[in-house]
Formats: sequence, C-alpha cells, structure tokens
Amino acid sequence: MSAVGAKPQAGGAMDMPATIAGIILLLVIVGATYFMVGPGLMFMALIGIIIGGLAIAFGVHFVPVGGAPAAMGQAPGIATGVAMLAAGAGLAGLFGGAWAAEQGLVVAVVTGAVGGGLMMAITCMFVTFIYVFGMGIPCASGKVAKDPISGDTQAEFKSQGTEGHGLPFVSYVGGVIGGLLGGGGGTLIYIMLLDVYKEALPGMMQALPAQVLPIAVSLAGIFAIGMFLVNAVLTAYNITGTIEGPHDPKFKRFPRALVASAVASALCGMVAILIVAM
Amino acid sequence: MESIAFGIGITALAGALATVAGAAENTESDIGSQGDPNSQVQLAPQMGYLHRIFNKAIAGEPPAYGLWVCLGAGIAWAFMAMQINPILALVLGSALAVFIQGVYATTAYLGRTASLAKFGQPVFVDVLKSMTTVTMAHAFVAIFTTVTMCHLINAALGHPFPLPLLGLVWGIALGAAGSATGNPFYGKERQYQSQKFGAGVPIAASGNIVRYAEAGERNSLDNGWFSAKLGGPASGLCFGLIVFLEIWRTVLFEQVGAGWGAIIVGIIMILIFAVIDRYIEVWARKNYGPYGKPAEEGS
Repeated sequence: MSAVGAKPQAGGAMDMPATIAGIILLLVIVGATYFMVGPGLMFMALIGIIIGGLAIAFGVHFVPVGGAPAAMGQAPGIATGVAMLAAGAGLAGLFGGAWAAEQGLVVAVVTGAVGGGLMMAITCMFVTFIYVFGMGIPCASGKVAKDPISGDTQAEFKSQGTEGHGLPFVSYVGGVIGGLLGGGGGTLIYIMLLDVYKEALPGMMQALPAQVLPIAVSLAGIFAIGMFLVNAVLTAYNITGTIEGPHDPKFKRFPRALVASAVASALCGMVAILIVAM
Repeated sequence: MESIAFGIGITALAGALATVAGAAENTESDIGSQGDPNSQVQLAPQMGYLHRIFNKAIAGEPPAYGLWVCLGAGIAWAFMAMQINPILALVLGSALAVFIQGVYATTAYLGRTASLAKFGQPVFVDVLKSMTTVTMAHAFVAIFTTVTMCHLINAALGHPFPLPLLGLVWGIALGAAGSATGNPFYGKERQYQSQKFGAGVPIAASGNIVRYAEAGERNSLDNGWFSAKLGGPASGLCFGLIVFLEIWRTVLFEQVGAGWGAIIVGIIMILIFAVIDRYIEVWARKNYGPYGKPAEEGS
C-alpha cells in the first residue's frame, strides 16, 4: 500500500494473509538454519539476532520524527528522517555496547541501550532548546489534547496553520525509549555475531583466536550496522513519514513491523551465520 | 591513576573535536541547504519564487556524513597501514574524502536545479563556483575532526572497532545530531525570516522563502553566517556532549561494579537531561503563554 493510498489514522490493522505468509517464512528460515547448523551456539545466535531486530523495529516507533515539516515548525518531532535518527542513536549505543562486550552479554546489552538512550536524551533536549530559545516556539502536540505523561494541554499552544511543533514531554520520553531499545537491540546482534565468528573463524582460517579477533570484530560490527539499517528502514516504511511518539495513532501499527522485521532479521542472520558455517 | 588521567585527557580532546565537528557539519549543511529545509529550497521555484540559494541535497545528513567520515577514516587507515605518519594520514584521508563531497555537491546542485528548468529556475554558475568550495572547506573541518576523534578512540582508548567502522558509526551519529538540532533554526528562522517570530510557519506559506538580503539577492553564504550564530554552535554542543559523556562514563566508571557503574551513571545522566528538557518546556509555556484559549484550536 502506498503512503497516498493509506487510510488516514490507519491503526494496527493486520493483513492476515501477509502475516501468515511472514510467519511461515520465518519458520522456514529458522528451520533451515537449524537443519544446517544444528542446535548450539550458531542457532542460539540466530534467535538472538531475531530478538535484537524486533527490539530495533519496536524502538523506532517510539522515536518522534517530524521530517521536513518539523524543520519549519509546522509539525511536532525532530527535523530529520525516521531511519536516520534511529540509526544515529542505535549506532551510538552499539559503540558503547561493543566496548563493554568483554563484560558479558547482559552488561554489554544494557550498556548499549543506555548509550542509545543517552544520545537521544541529549539530542531531544537540544531540539527543545533550539525551539524555545532560538525560535521562541513552545512545544505542542498535534495528535492529542493532553500530554499523556505531564497532563499539559496542547491545543492552545499550537500556532495558527500548523499541526503543532517541538517535542512535548511524551515525545521526549518516547525518543529516549526508542534510543534504549535501538541501542540494546543493535548490541545484542553484534554480540551474537561476535561469539559465532570468534568460535568459527580460527578453524576456518587456521589461525590463532587472537589473530582472527580483529576480523571477527569488524565482520560482526558491519553486519550489526547493516541489520540495524534493514530494521530501521523497514519500520520507516511502516510509519510512512512522520510520527510523534508512543501517543501517535500510527504507533499502533507496530505489530506489522514486528512480523516484517522478524523475517528480515532471520534472513540476514542466516546469511551472516552461514558465511562461516558452510 | 596515570591511565585514568590519560583517559580523561583523551576524552576531553575527543569531546572538543566533536564539538567543532558538530558546528562545522551544521554550518556546511545549511550553506548547502542539505537536510530537511532543502524541501523549501526545492519547492520555492515551483511556487514562482526564483532564488539564488545553493541546493545540494545529496542525501539525508546522516548517510552523507556516514559516507564521508567512513571514507576519510578508511583512507587514513590505509595510509597508516602503509607506515605513513598518523597525522599526515588523517589529513590526507580527510582531504580525499572532501573531494568526493565536492563532486557530489556539484552534481547535486546541477541536477537538482536543472530539474527545475520548467519553472524558470536558472543554474547560476557563479553560485556553483563560490559556494561549493565553501561547503568543502566546512566539510573538511567536520570530517577531519571526526576522523581524528575516531582515531583517538581507537588508538588511545582501545575501542575494538577498526577506524573505518568507527568512522561510519560516528559519521551517522554526527549527521543525526547535527540535522536534529540545526535544521529547525535554518528552516524556520532563516528561510522564513519574514514570518512572525515565535510561531511555526503556516503550511499555506510553504515555498515563500526569503530571497533578498540587505543588498541584492540572498545567497547561501548569508545563511551560513546566520546559522553559525546559534544552530551551528548548538549542534556542536549537542554532538560534543554525546561523545564526551559516552566516553567519560565508560573511561571513569567501567571498572565500578563490573560494568554496572557506567550503566548507572548513564541512567542518571538521562534523568538529568529529562529534567532540563522538562524545565525548558515549562519555562516556555509560562513565559510565552498560549496562542489562544484552550477551547479554540490554535488561534
């Protein structure tokens, strides 16, 4: 369905045949991987990659993105693209998570999540700063009468001829949650792939583990960035343009993105694992 | 103790480099009208407003800077592998990446403006000649500082990612922070300077950008001068804080509580920024007041 053809306020209506086809495809990919690599580290890595991809796809829905209208104060949100802002935050998280990879899976994933959240917290604060002190415009949502978190009324702070502007507090919180999920998901994919490559590459290249470590890190890093972008762009198509955050009616579309993201992550994960397993 | 002092010094230097990078990145993108405000530069001739604004939207700022910083970092990395002095390698890598940016800027301006021919928008060769070099100079500052920052993180702080991968990660983050912070200031405050201050641009006014300066027609250097006053420094501060705080919490608190120290400090910082954001939001509501009564929708 094109953006033009989409119903306004389209909710989370699922296209059942497409959903069933997606789930069957997912099971086929997971089953094929199980058949090829068997149970163990590599299969668990695929499951981890799918969970990471789901976290990214879900997280991108929280990020308040206004696109071009936000740059003119015509619509609320951050004035940039959905996929790009989420990628910026998620990759900043991946940077932190990769640094903490030696401290175990849980610490690394949480460190990555906090890195992504911190990036969004600082960026969203500066967006509010520019709107208020640079342009003299208060924050106002165009989608809800009251901010669900702070309870502030919105309509009277919306200037004439616009859909709202800036980041109401619920959008700020949404941005931080999006950064947390994106950073955590990206780091999870990275750690899963790093474990697989550290295990498989020494035998494959007949070298010592220390010698293949730089290759394993680079390969896992570039695959993690690639899968992050796959999930972020898929979700951007689901959002079609702009979203204000968790209070936006478009947020209810997320189940569709989760199905698509699970299939895409499984396929990408299978390829990333099979390059060392075959 | 010495290693912590060294780590803090490198962190401060990386933060300072990131601040310069953010400011240069936003000023570069505003001079070139890259990012979201470009939609209005592209729209204006279609609404009958011909202009002399440079128009080089190659891609969104994050992927564009991801490419250029990654290129600069990759070339510098290759030079370093050839045993060339690291500082020279960083300068050469960044300079070569800037040439790619220049090629993209030229083809983007020619292609985008030529596509507006049926609306009577001319291609100004003098605009191309005078603006491209200025955006390239700003891009060099942004790319060189980011690549140098990545080199410090990799070589001095021991991050596991190789230099080109760090370049890609921080290039995309640089573009994301710069476009998020700086775009509204250029898009609303400069392009629509004739509209009322303290209100969003009415959708009906779209395309009617300011085209005349104090003397003659406005050009993109004027826009660079304007956004360097607030949008650029704010973007710089934003990206500088992201880099500085991210590294600072890792360098100082990573060893505390088996990694949980850095996590707790990160969460505390997120809460502090949330409080600051909420304070600014409430301050604006109190001091600027509503546009109309609650019942009347946006009067």
